[in-house]
Amino acid sequence: MKRILLLLFLVPFINGIMMAENDPTAKEIIQKADEKMRGESNIATIKMTIIRPTWEREMTLKSWAKGTEYSLTLVTAPARDKGTAFLKREKEIWNWQPTIDRTIKMPPSMMMQSWMGSDFTNDDLVRESSIVTDYEHELLGTETLEGRNCYKIKMTPKPDAPVVWGEIIIWISKDEYLQLKSEFYDEDGYLVQTIYGKQVREMDGRVIPSVLEVVPADEEGHKTRLEYLSLDFNEPIQPSFFSIQNMKRVK
Amino acid sequence: MKRILLLMVLGMSLAQLQAQDEPRNWTVNGYLKNMQTLLFFNDAYPDLSQGKLVDTFFQDNLIHNRLNFRWYPDDNWTVRADLRTRIFYGSFVQASPGYGDQVDDVNNDYFDLSHVIFNERAWVMHTMLDRLYLEYVNDKLEVRLGRQRINWGISTVWNPNDIFNAFAFTDFDYEERPGSDALRVKYYTGFASSVELAVSMFDDIDEATMAGLWRFNKWSYDFQVLAGYTRGDWALGGGWAGNLGDAGLKGEFTYFLPVEDSDDDPAFAATLGLDYSFSNSLYGSLGYLYNSEGGIRNSITGLFAFELSARNLYPYRHALFAQATYPVTPLLNAGAAIIYSPVQAHALFLNPTLTYSIRANWDLDLIGQLAFDQEAEGYRSPLQAVFFRLKWSF
Repeated sequence: MKRILLLLFLVPFINGIMMAENDPTAKEIIQKADEKMRGESNIATIKMTIIRPTWEREMTLKSWAKGTEYSLTLVTAPARDKGTAFLKREKEIWNWQPTIDRTIKMPPSMMMQSWMGSDFTNDDLVRESSIVTDYEHELLGTETLEGRNCYKIKMTPKPDAPVVWGEIIIWISKDEYLQLKSEFYDEDGYLVQTIYGKQVREMDGRVIPSVLEVVPADEEGHKTRLEYLSLDFNEPIQPSFFSIQNMKRVK
Repeated sequence: MKRILLLMVLGMSLAQLQAQDEPRNWTVNGYLKNMQTLLFFNDAYPDLSQGKLVDTFFQDNLIHNRLNFRWYPDDNWTVRADLRTRIFYGSFVQASPGYGDQVDDVNNDYFDLSHVIFNERAWVMHTMLDRLYLEYVNDKLEVRLGRQRINWGISTVWNPNDIFNAFAFTDFDYEERPGSDALRVKYYTGFASSVELAVSMFDDIDEATMAGLWRFNKWSYDFQVLAGYTRGDWALGGGWAGNLGDAGLKGEFTYFLPVEDSDDDPAFAATLGLDYSFSNSLYGSLGYLYNSEGGIRNSITGLFAFELSARNLYPYRHALFAQATYPVTPLLNAGAAIIYSPVQAHALFLNPTLTYSIRANWDLDLIGQLAFDQEAEGYRSPLQAVFFRLKWSF
C-alpha cells in the first residue's frame, strides 16, 4: 500500500518527464540542440573553405570555447595568416597579429563583419550572441528533412540583443536534436543566407552534423563550408585559459 | 654570400618540409617579395651638379626575403631568429652614392647584426637579423633577452608609447617593424593585465631606454600606464583601447621631460582615434595626432626624411588621419588613407592601396604614396611614389 502511495506521489513527476519527452517547448528544443553542438566546453580543429564560382580558398583553424562567454580561435593555415588569433571574453574581443607582434582590441561593430572573407561573420565564429538567450522561440510545426522528422522553429531576436537578423527559421531533428537547416532573414523579411548541417556522424560520443555550409541567398555558386576535423567536448578548460598571454602562446 | 644564399634556400626548403605534420620542436616560415617602385620628383630632387631642385623619375626594384626561425627546446624556452635579406637595384640606388651604407645604418640597434653583402654602383644586397632572442616562460612570467620588438603602442596609427622602437607609417613594406636590443621581463597579472620592465642595451646613458609598463582591464577598456627614461628624457605616458557604442575608441600620450637643464624643451605627443566597421565590411578609421616636436612651417618632403622617435612621430605639429578599407570581393581589398596637417604648408599625404589574392599564399599589392603641399608655386605634389608588390608566403 505504501508502495502504491509512493508511486501515486511520483505520477505528476513521471507525467512531467513524459510531457517533456513528447512535447518539449521551442526553447527547450533550441537549448538541447545548442548544448549538443557546444557542450560545456569544446576544442575543435576546423577546415574552412570559401567557395566561389571561379575559385576556392582553404583555411584551417583550431578553437577553444567555454559556454558563450569565452572563446579562442587560432588560424593554423594558410602560411600568410598562420598564428593569427582571436580572443573573446564576454563582450570584448582581441586580435593577435604575430607578424607585427601586436594585440589589437577590436571595435564591437566588427562582430558583424565577414570573418576573413568568408560567408561567416565574426559573431558566427566567436559567438557573441546566443540562440538560447537572445531570441524568443516559437514552434511552427514539424517537417521532414533528409529523411529525418524535424521541429520547425521561428526565432525572433529580443530587443537589444546583439543580433542583425529580423528572424531565423530553424529545423531541428527530433531524434538527435541536429540543427539541419537554418534560414536567416533580415529586418525586411528577405532571406539573407541559409546554413545547412550535413554529414551527420559521431564525434567524441555525440551524433552531430560534421559539416556546416553557409549559402548566401542571392549569390549563385557562393558558399562557405566548415568541416569539423576533430571535436572534443567537455574537456576541462578554466576561464583563465582565455587570456591575452595564451592567445599568443597556443599552438 | 654563398652562405647567405644557402641559408635562404635551406630555410625555404625547411618551410616546405614542415607541411608533413610530424611533431617537432622547431618551425620556419617567411616570405619572398618582389617590389617595383616608381618615384616621381616634381622640382623636388636635389641635383648636386646643378645645385638646385629638379624634376626627375626613378625606377627601382627590391627583392626581399624573410625567414623566421623558432626553436622550442622545451616548454619553457624559445629561441627566435628572423633573417631579413634584401636586394635593391635601379636608378635611385645608382643616383644615391653610399646607398648600401645608408640601408645598413638605419636598421641597427646596439649590436651590429647586419651586413652589406654587395655594395655596387647600381645594386646593393643587404642582410640582417632583426629578431634574435632567447625567451623563458614560466607560468605567468616571460623573460626575453636579445633583439626583439617591444611593442608598447595601443592606438591604431601613431604610438607615442612606443619608446623602444618607433616606426614610420610610410614604411609599409616593413610590417614586422624594427627591433631593439634589450632585456624585457613581463608578468601577467590577469587575462588582459600585466606588468613589464624593459631596458635597452647601452654604453652611454644618453642612448639608453629603460621603462616600466602596467596594463590593466577595467569597464571593458584596456588601459596602460608607462614611466621611465629614454635618451635624456623622463617619459611618462599612458593609453587606452575601448569602445564608444559599437565604435572603437583608442588614445595614447607621452610626456617627455629632459633630465638635465638643457636647451631641449619638454615634448608632448598625444593621439586619439575612432574606428568602426559596417555590416558590409567597410571599415573606417579617424585619428588625430598632436606632436609638440613637429614643425608648422616645414614642407612635405620632410615626411620621408625626419628623425623618427616616439618623441617625434610625424614631422608636423598636427595631423588628421582618415582611412577606409573595403573588400570588393574576398580576394580584392581596396583602401585609402589620408593624413592632413593643418599647418602653413597644408601638408597632405595620400595613400591608396589595392590588395589582390592571386591564390593561397600569393598576394599582389598596388600602393600609392602621394605628397602635396602649399609652396611658392601654389598647391602641388612634389613627390609621388607607386609600388607594385608580389608576395609569396611560406
